[in-house]
Amino acid sequence: MDLNYSPEDVAFREKTRRWLEENVPRQDLKTLDERKAWHRTLYEAGYVGMLWPKEYGGWGATPMQQAIVQDEMARIGAPPPINGLGIGFIGPTIIVHGTDQQKQRYLRKMLTAEEIWCQLYSEPNAGSDLASLKTRAEDTGDHFVVNGQKIWTSSGPIADWGILLCRTDLKVPKHKGISCFLLNMRQPGVEVRPLKQITGLSLFSEVFMTNARAEKDDLIGRLSQGWEIAQTTLGYERGANSLGRVTRYAISYHQLVHAAKELKRGGRPLIDDPVVRARLGKMYAELEVQRYAGLRVLSGLNKGETPGAASSITKLSYTEFEKRFYETALEILGPWGQQMVAGEDFEEVDTSSGEPGTFATAFLWSRAGTIYSGSSEVQKNIIGERVLGLPKEVRADRIAR
Amino acid sequence: MDFSFSSDQQLLKNSARAFLDEHVKPALVRSLIDDPRGESEALWKEMAQLGWLGLSLPEEHGGSGLGMVETAILLEEMGRAALPAPYLPTILAARAIAEAGTPEQQQRWLPAIATGSARATIAFLDNDLSWDLSTATATRAVGAPDRWRLSGAKRFVPWAHVADVILVPARSQKGLSLFFVDPSTAGITMSPAPLMDVAGRWSTLALDQVSVTEMLGPSGQVGALLNSVVLCGAVGAAAGMLGAARRCLDMAVSYAKVREQFGQPIGSFQAIRHKCAEMLLEVENSHAATYYAAWALDAKSEDHAVAASVAKAYVGDAARKVCSEAIQVHGGIGFTWEYDLHLYFKHAKALEAMYGDGDHHRELIVRQVAG
Repeated sequence: MDLNYSPEDVAFREKTRRWLEENVPRQDLKTLDERKAWHRTLYEAGYVGMLWPKEYGGWGATPMQQAIVQDEMARIGAPPPINGLGIGFIGPTIIVHGTDQQKQRYLRKMLTAEEIWCQLYSEPNAGSDLASLKTRAEDTGDHFVVNGQKIWTSSGPIADWGILLCRTDLKVPKHKGISCFLLNMRQPGVEVRPLKQITGLSLFSEVFMTNARAEKDDLIGRLSQGWEIAQTTLGYERGANSLGRVTRYAISYHQLVHAAKELKRGGRPLIDDPVVRARLGKMYAELEVQRYAGLRVLSGLNKGETPGAASSITKLSYTEFEKRFYETALEILGPWGQQMVAGEDFEEVDTSSGEPGTFATAFLWSRAGTIYSGSSEVQKNIIGERVLGLPKEVRADRIAR
Repeated sequence: MDFSFSSDQQLLKNSARAFLDEHVKPALVRSLIDDPRGESEALWKEMAQLGWLGLSLPEEHGGSGLGMVETAILLEEMGRAALPAPYLPTILAARAIAEAGTPEQQQRWLPAIATGSARATIAFLDNDLSWDLSTATATRAVGAPDRWRLSGAKRFVPWAHVADVILVPARSQKGLSLFFVDPSTAGITMSPAPLMDVAGRWSTLALDQVSVTEMLGPSGQVGALLNSVVLCGAVGAAAGMLGAARRCLDMAVSYAKVREQFGQPIGSFQAIRHKCAEMLLEVENSHAATYYAAWALDAKSEDHAVAASVAKAYVGDAARKVCSEAIQVHGGIGFTWEYDLHLYFKHAKALEAMYGDGDHHRELIVRQVAG
C-alpha cells in the first residue's frame, strides 16, 4: 500500500496544469462551434480519447493519467469536451463489437467531435426495465425501417449519430429479441423534441422515429445480440472520473464554508453555530471518503483490474453523497440557497460544481444522478445479485407462462 | 499509487484471519464474559509469539518496526472476531513510550510488551469526558521534580484492571504531563465500569494522593503527544469497527441466502437485498477511510490528522448502521443472546465512543478545514 503518486504521475500533472493554464479559453464557450473547437484542441493535446487504443486515434494513456487530466480540468474550471457519451461509452462499444468498416467510418470523427453522438436506449415505458423496449426495426431486405420513441436522450438536438437499441424479433423472450444499430440522426424520419428538466434547462430530449432508416452495415454485432452489447456498455468502468468529480465537490464545499463565514444569523456567523459545524464536519468526512474510495478504484484500474459489477458501488456511493451534500448546503444557506441567480448582495450562492450556477441549481441537478445510467435501486439489485450473490428475485417477466 | 495491500500485508491479514477463526470462536468470547480478567493469558502469549504485540515497536526493542497499516490490518481482524484482549490500549501506550520515553523507559517496557509479559493502558478521560485532553484534564499532579502526588478521577479506562502500567495524563504546575503509574500503588481505587461490549473492559479510577516518580515525555508539554496517540487510537478503533461491521454484513448475507419466508429466500426480496447492498457500500467506504488514514499516519502526510478524524467519524456511523441493519435482516433471532450477532454489534458500539466519538472528530475536521 503506497498512496503517493509516482514521479511520472507528478510530472504529468504538472505538465497538464501548465498546458491548461495556457490554453483554457478565457471566455465562456457559447456556440457549438466554439465548444467543438475547444474539444479539438483538447484532443490534439492528448487529453481526449486518452484510454482509447492508439490504432483508433486514441492515446493509450493510463487510467491514472486520465483521472489526473479530469482532476486538473476540474481544478481550473475548464469546459469539458463535448462528445462524452460517444467517447466514454459508444466508441468503446464499437471497438469491442464493431466491424472494421464501422471502426474506420465512425471512430475518428467521434474523437474529434466532427460527429456528435447520443444514446437511444430508454423509452417512456422502458426505464429500469430497459429490455421491455418496444421500438421496432423491420428488415425490408435492403435496410431496416425503425419506428418508435426514445426518451431522456442527452445531446439529442446536437447529435449526428445515435446508438440504438430496438426490437428485431417479437417471437423470443424480451432480452433475446433486441438488436443494436448505429442510427443517422440527420434524416427525415428522426424528430428530436427537447425536454425541459427541473433545472429549467433542456439538456435532453425525446426522439421520435417514424419509418427511419437504419443501414444493414450499421448493425453492431449480430442480429438479436443487442442486449448483450448493452450490458457491456452499461458495465463501462466508472473509476477514471473519480478525482475530477471529487475535486468539483471540494471546490463547492469550500465555497459553502466561505458562505457560512459571510452569512450571519442572530448576529453571529453561521460557521460559529455548532449545528452548522457538525453538518459541515459530516459532509467533509463524507467528501473525503469519496476521494479515498475513488483512489482505491483508480489504483485497481491502473493495475488492469476491472471492477465489473463492483462499479455499481462507486456509482451508488457518489450519486447518493451528492444529494446529501447539496441538501446539507441548502439547509445551511437557508433562503439564500434557493436563489437560481447570484445577486450582487450575496454572490456566495454561486458554486462551480457541475454546470455553472448556484447551489440551488446544483441541488436540483443532484436529483439526476441517482436516476440516470441505472437508478440507485438498479445498482442495489446489481450489487445484491452479482457482488453479494444473493438469490434473484422472482419476477413476473421471468415466470414461464 | 497503490491502494491494495502488499503481499506481506495480505499474508499478515490471512494469517490473522486463520488464527482468530481457529482460536477466537464465539464460544471463547462467551466463555470470558464472566471471567474476572475477561481475557485469556494463553491467547495473549500466542499473540506475542505471532509477533502481534511487537508489530509496530522498534526492532531494537524486540518489535518488527511495522506501521499503522499493518496494525490496522490486525485490528480489523480482531474486531471481526470481537477478540477480548487489551491489544489496542497496550499498543497505544507502547507507541507513546516509543515516541517520548527515555532509553531506560523504553528498555523497561517495550521488550516486556513485545514478549507479552506486560500490558499497558492510557487513562485519557477525566470526569469531563472530553477527548481534547489539553483543556479537559483536571487530574492534578503536585510536587516535583522527581516525586509527584496525583489526585483526580479517570473514567472508562480500557483494560486498566489487567494493566501492569497505566499512563496517566495530569496537570502539573508546568502544564499537561504524563505519568507512569503502577496500578498497585496506594491511593488508587479501581472499580469496574461494566459495559455492554463483551469484548472490552473499562474501569473507573479514583486517584487520591497517588505517589509517582516517573514522567513520560517533556514535563508540561505532552499535549501534542497525547493528541497524536488519540489519533492512532481513533484509526485503530475505526479498523476494529470495520472488522465488526464486515462480520455482521457477512452474517446477514449468509442468513438472507438461506432463510425462507413466503416460499423463497428473504435475500431475493429487494427490501432485504437493497439493505445488504447499502451495508456493503458502507463497509467498502469504511475500508477506504480506515486504510487511507492508517497510511496517512505512517506517511505523516499533510492531511494525516484530518484523515484520522474522517476515518473515526465516518466508520463510527457506518459500523453502527451496518451492525444494526444486520440485526434487522435477521429479525427475531438477531435479538437473542444465543445468536452471535450481538457480540460484534456491541463491540463496534463500544469502539464508537472511544478515542473521540463522531461529534468530537467532526469538530476537529471543521477546525482544520474551515477554521
